[in-house]
Formats: sequence, structure tokens, C-alpha cells
Amino acid sequence: MTEVMTLLKFIEIVAGGIIAGIIGSVTGLGGGSVLVPILTLFYGVPIIFATGASLISTIATSAGSAGTYTKKKIANVKIGVGLEVATTLGAIVGSLTVTVVYKYSLEWVLYLLFGIVILTSIVPTVNRGKYEGTKVVKPDFTSRIFQLQGKYYDQNQKKSVEYIGIRWWLGEIIMFFAGMLSGLLGIGSGALKVLGMDWAMNLPMKVTTTTSNFMIGITAATSSSIYWYNGFIQFYLAAATAIGVLIGAIIGSKILLKISNKDVRWVFFAILSYLGVEMALEGLRKGTFISLSGLDRFYIAIAISGILIVSLYVIFRIGEKNGQRQ
Amino acid sequence: MDKDNEDLTKVISITLRAAVVVSMFFIVSGVVLMMIKGGGDGYTLAQISSYNTTSPTTLRSNLVPLSNMPSGIVNLDGIYFISLGLWVLIFTPVIVLISAVIDFVVSKNYLYVLLSAIVLTNLTVAIFYIGPYLHLAS
Repeated sequence: MTEVMTLLKFIEIVAGGIIAGIIGSVTGLGGGSVLVPILTLFYGVPIIFATGASLISTIATSAGSAGTYTKKKIANVKIGVGLEVATTLGAIVGSLTVTVVYKYSLEWVLYLLFGIVILTSIVPTVNRGKYEGTKVVKPDFTSRIFQLQGKYYDQNQKKSVEYIGIRWWLGEIIMFFAGMLSGLLGIGSGALKVLGMDWAMNLPMKVTTTTSNFMIGITAATSSSIYWYNGFIQFYLAAATAIGVLIGAIIGSKILLKISNKDVRWVFFAILSYLGVEMALEGLRKGTFISLSGLDRFYIAIAISGILIVSLYVIFRIGEKNGQRQ
Repeated sequence: MDKDNEDLTKVISITLRAAVVVSMFFIVSGVVLMMIKGGGDGYTLAQISSYNTTSPTTLRSNLVPLSNMPSGIVNLDGIYFISLGLWVLIFTPVIVLISAVIDFVVSKNYLYVLLSAIVLTNLTVAIFYIGPYLHLAS
């Protein structure tokens, strides 16, 4: 009888992983950012095991999808490796910080931080793909020293795009924090990586997203070995989520190809913002700053995320449509 | 230069995909073995599927010695199959990095040989030193 129950529970987690993988891949935020809220809020998994499982699935999806990306020769391995100097250091600092967090039972900090990270990631992710070309900038001294130039073939524009990166040092600083968040929360922190390369280093969006995907695996591998020896990885959970999230990510990338109407993605953004608010509220409740019943938390999260996503939609999507008309 | 970059990305993409397939094979067969045998490594299914962080019988990663991996695999122990699958995943990016280092050495790009060596050091320190040290300290 226990065999059947364990198997059913396993399938249930795989299903949760598939959902996380789909949402993560359609929104471009990655499976981990969705998996941890789903596991902690709906499956009652302690955040310590949820983040451990998430790190493992992050490596699986990064490796699975980096294959397709590097094949199209868009990812810049050189820039990626250079920035990994900072992300791996950050990952070590982050995963060591986590051991202290659990030692002093400060789990609420992780919930709150997780909520904030999801909510702040939505804005740059919504904005993604808005500007296809990059601004033409003067190369600085780091462009030459760190050989930040490259080119790729853009299938939509049907031409080869050449680019030059700048401000390598600023990219490194942002990457350190991206790595630290990855170690703390068990996510790929793709949004912050994209910010570092797109905003700070002026790299084209296509190069940024694909290179970030390739980097995420190396960052997560650094953290997960520390997680392993600390006992933060629960096999049963990690096995189920790795399988689920990988399947979900594959389905998600297929869905993404079929979505011609951009508005569909907003449904997923709405789910994401709901999960973000829920995580933040759960953090405040665990830290005994507020007292809320599960149902109250649900209503408040629905209300806040509803307002948030509608205002974001109005700001970005309507503005975009007006821009197209002019 | 661009030719090198193309070959490198090709090798990396094949390595990554192969590693994911191998790791998924071990994880899935580990789960099947675990279910058939009703447990693994002396733990019952109830202990394996428990989320209780305070119970000492909950099976978590620090309780499975990696040195037992070879005998665990030979004995068709599901837990060690899953462990091996997870470690293949953790090591995948290391393989990618090493292939990048080799490429930088071949193209005599010494700055990037140095940078990738630093990344590799960070990873190695995390995997072989910090982790085991924490394990001993706890």
C-alpha cells in the first residue's frame, strides 16, 4: 500500500514540476522561480528541500535548452565564462549564507526575498524582446581587453548581427549578486543575469538570454554541491522535480513557438505575480510580522497581484500597441 | 576565431544533451528500482518520501556517503542510481567548462585561459573542499 501511495505522491510532484517548467519557460523566468513557490505553498514542502530540488532542476533545464541555443551559435561562450568568475563566487557566498539562515531558523527571510525577487523580475521579463537592436555605443577599454565583440545570425531579420559589449566590470558586479541570489534561493536568477548583460554591457537581447542560460548551469552546480553536503537535497523530491521541470520546459518551448498573440503570455505573468505576492506574505507571516489565515492570504494575494498585473499591462502592452500604430 | 567558437559551441551542445539523457536514465531507473524494492540504502519508502526536516530518519543528501556509490550501483540500489544521476547533472557544467579551457589554450587566448581557470577553481573548491568541510563540521 505504501508503494502505491509513494508512487502517487511522486507523480503528483512530477505534475507540479511540469506546470512549473511550462510557466517558467513561457515567461522566460526559468523553472526554479515557479517550482519553489508551488512546492512550498501548495505541497507543504519545507523551503530548504524546495530550493535544493529547484537547483537540480535548474541545471537540468539549463543543460537541456543550452543545447538548442548553442547549436544556433548565438550564445557567447567567452563572455559567459568571463562572467562566471563573479557568479560562481556569488553562488559560494549565497549557499554558505543559507546554512547560517537555517541554523538560526530565519526561513521567513528566504520567503520574503523570494517574493520580492519574483515580483521585481517580472518587469524586465515583460520588457524582454522589446528592443531588438542595441544602441550603438563607443567601445570602452574593457571591450578590447576582454574581447567583448561577436556576431550571430538573426533568423527573423535574416541577417548577421555584429555587436560590441562594454562595461565588463559592471557586468561582473551584477553577476556576483545574481550568483548570490541563485545560491540563496535555488533559482537560476536569469532575470538579473539578463539585466547585467543587456543593461550594463549593452549586449543584444538574443545573446543575453542564450548566454545566461548557458551560465545558469555552472552557477547552480557550484551551489548544489554545497547544498548536497549540507543535506538540503531530498532525493525523492529532487528526482521528481528534475523529471517534471525538464518535461515542462520542453512543452513550454513548444507552446512559446505557437503563441502568436503576445497577450497569452500575460496570463502566465499574472500567475507569476500571484505566486510572488503569496511568497512575500508567507514570509511576513512566518516572521510573525502579520497574522493571516490561509484563505485571507489567498484573497489578499489575488487582489495585490491583480492590481499589479493590470497596471503593468496598461503601462507596457498598451504603450507598445500605441507605439506600433504611430 | 569565429570558426573556433562554432566548433566549441557544437561540442558543448552535444555534451550537454548527452549528459541530460544519461542523468535522466539513472534518475528514472533509480526511482523504478526504489519503488520495486520498497526502499533503498536501508531506508523505507516512508522515510525516503518524508519532508520532515527535523527527523533524523528523513533521507537527505548528507546521509548518503558518495564512497558507497560503486557498491550501491552494483547492488542495484535505487538511491544510489538517483544519486549518480544527480551528480552527473552537477558535473555537466564542469565538463563544459573544461572543453572551454581546452579551446582557449588551443587558440592561445591566455586571458581567457586564466578566467576560466578561476571559474574552475571556484567550482572545484565548492565541490571538493567547502562541501565536505561543512559535512565534517556539522
